[in-house]
Amino acid sequence: MNLKMKGIVKSFGANDVLKTVDFHLGEGEICALLGENGAGKSTLMNILGGVLQPDKGTIELDGRTVSFANPAQSLGAGIAFIHQELNLINDLPVYENMFIGRELKKKSGFLDHASMYLETKELFDRMGLEIDPGAMVSSLDASFKQIVEISRALMMNASIIIMDEPTTSLTDPEIERVFDMLRMLRKQKVGVVFISHKLREVMEICDRYTVLRDGVVVADGWVKDTSIPEIARDMVGHEVNSMGNQRKGNTGKEVLRLESLTQEPYFRNVSLNVHAGEVLGVTGLLGDGRSELFRTVFGAEGKYSGKIYLEEKPVVITSTKQALQLGIGYLPRNRKENGIIKDMNILENGSIVTLPRMTRFGLIRKADQTAEFHRQKDALRIKMENDADSITSLSGGNQQKVVLAKWLSANPKLLILDNPTQGVDVGAKEEIYQIIHQLADQGVAVVVLCSEAQEIIRLCDRALVMYHGTVCAEVSGESMNEHEMMRLATGG
Amino acid sequence: MTKTNRKTILQKAVHQWKTNPLFSTGMVLILMIILQTIALGFDFDSFGAWFSYWSRNWINILRNNSMVGIVALGMAFVIISGGIDLAVGSTLVAVGAALMFFINGYPDGLLTSAGITGVPAFAIGIVVCLVMGALLGGVSGTLIARQKLPAFIATLGMMKICRSVTQQMMQTNAVKVPTEFLAIANTKIGGQVILPIIYWAVIAVVLHIISQKTPFGRQVYAIGSNERTARLSGINVEKVKTLVYVLSGLLVSVSSIIQVARIGSMDYANAGSGYEMDAIAAVVVGGVSMSGGKGSIVGTVLGMLIIAVMNNLLNLMGVPPFLREAFKGFIVIVAVLLQKKESNS
Repeated sequence: MNLKMKGIVKSFGANDVLKTVDFHLGEGEICALLGENGAGKSTLMNILGGVLQPDKGTIELDGRTVSFANPAQSLGAGIAFIHQELNLINDLPVYENMFIGRELKKKSGFLDHASMYLETKELFDRMGLEIDPGAMVSSLDASFKQIVEISRALMMNASIIIMDEPTTSLTDPEIERVFDMLRMLRKQKVGVVFISHKLREVMEICDRYTVLRDGVVVADGWVKDTSIPEIARDMVGHEVNSMGNQRKGNTGKEVLRLESLTQEPYFRNVSLNVHAGEVLGVTGLLGDGRSELFRTVFGAEGKYSGKIYLEEKPVVITSTKQALQLGIGYLPRNRKENGIIKDMNILENGSIVTLPRMTRFGLIRKADQTAEFHRQKDALRIKMENDADSITSLSGGNQQKVVLAKWLSANPKLLILDNPTQGVDVGAKEEIYQIIHQLADQGVAVVVLCSEAQEIIRLCDRALVMYHGTVCAEVSGESMNEHEMMRLATGG
Repeated sequence: MTKTNRKTILQKAVHQWKTNPLFSTGMVLILMIILQTIALGFDFDSFGAWFSYWSRNWINILRNNSMVGIVALGMAFVIISGGIDLAVGSTLVAVGAALMFFINGYPDGLLTSAGITGVPAFAIGIVVCLVMGALLGGVSGTLIARQKLPAFIATLGMMKICRSVTQQMMQTNAVKVPTEFLAIANTKIGGQVILPIIYWAVIAVVLHIISQKTPFGRQVYAIGSNERTARLSGINVEKVKTLVYVLSGLLVSVSSIIQVARIGSMDYANAGSGYEMDAIAAVVVGGVSMSGGKGSIVGTVLGMLIIAVMNNLLNLMGVPPFLREAFKGFIVIVAVLLQKKESNS
């Protein structure tokens, strides 16, 4: 099915999110929709998905003008929107999920499990998928969950599938599995809109690309005719530095040392050290235990065996509050679930860690709180209007900076950053890199947990590669390259 | 000119109504008070007589609701933290029993032998009552925060245990409450019995400040909104959650002391029964979200007043008492429906 969106205009109040945008998608084409956070990608796709209605402009499917008042109409026209948060019910088997909302029933009115199972199996067989229709969704890994959602869309005769950052929470082999699925969709003439920040993936899987910036299409064309730096420049509007780490750090005394730290089943016998002024990377594939390892160091995971030394002194860390008092900061992964408090405003999100230090006679001194936050706001260049605005009104990158601000206020000696640029656009990513280097220059020991080799290379002085809960190697300098790290992370 | 002005004011009001739960709650309250004023037979010619009737009516409303009102303030903290406290009503009789047990200074001469003079004997009763309220709250809080029991279950259990044990233990206990103790609630100020109202107001102000201006208060909101983030922000979630239930227990004790001082006795089978639901109703009508993280002490007071004024109104209009609970149910449902609309828009 050929899709043409013409002259789409959409504004929210005084905020013009889309200013006359054209977008088209050919049959069996995979088109990347790119742009920084706030560029208008989600709004455009929400219009296509029937969630929002355009102020102006038309949508054509195979030359017919259509309009969608709600998501159901869009789905009825063959457009399926697969959101970042998957829409599956974990505690039901795959085949029941495939028929959610339009279950097959027997004459008696009871569910017809056998037919649902069979139809699901037929579809999977036809597509060469090795998924047991009777398996619980909760037992599937993230990639298979996505594949189930895509299959469900196909079962409902979708001929256009919108995927919003499908690979964010996937490991490399899982990403490859989803890409295989996309290639299969291409063969079956299904069009895919692929929203992503990961340009390397775009180069690998997409046919065409469209770049939005501030509600305007600034570039589109064939992926084979372009390059990552070119797209990145289009997204940001200026050159992006994606080179390696050129900082000359002076490392100081040891800040953290772990000896045989073990917490089954997540990690075992981990020994490492980090020095003041150093950026240590810890990488691996999802499920390698690095997040659990450092959450344990931060006192958020419960009992462990082995020893933790902070500045050469042995410590037993049992709570996050204690970790905070010891001078450890931790920026968690998955900002939405772990980083921000959505019911609180920007100022409060940026100062929740240090509130107890800003009191007089037990009452919070608003002036101190505001002054400290503004200091961080200026240093981190957070783009925002009022302190009292909702945290969710900020773009992903700025939200992340607010989360960072709450930790910087606490002046940590050791700062653990788990996936610090997750869901952050290219320009803000570069800013966060610079902030991290500045912190290290000021003598903070920084640990960066990340599965993207590019980011490790860009940020870190040296890196540890983890595989199934153990540190399998240390890389630095020449050996810190994508191939070597990937080889180690996959257990090679 | 005037027309456009009026329109913008209306638009502003609509915007406020949609975005500010305190505004909508306050507006509903004002509407109720207007209705109530009409129902009280407002008459401009005999304004003085009308006003004294009106104010006596109001003092009655406030005084009768001050006990549940204080409990509701604790409930607001609990619900903002993401929990619920079903045990408040039976905790009220349990701590009331403790109060009665010590109200005549048992054991005799404890205070004087400890060298404390100039304090009435029932002071021991008050201290024991407060400590016990805090302890019972602490038990619920520990079960919820450390043993990870759902708040509903833990406090349901405490609710059953407290009332049942109290009734068994206090079967034959007929205590004479000393008259000095009654003065705690019944001393007249300006010729009116308004002390319970003053206690309620003072506690509300203090709790409002705690909720808005102290790290503890803000941490309660943070935990209610996102417990994981709160923990990962170095907040001792277990401690804060436990303290919330301790606070609720303490306020129940205060409420119990006022009640005993008001009535001069305690009915262990019926006192405080239904308080948990009345408190939850007030909190919810006042704009506190049952899922935690949202709402305020001011809203809770307004919510309590809305329910109280409505009750009064139904009374004045001669609605049969059996039907009044139905109206209470109705207003709770409508209030939450309105809030849902707000958060969706």
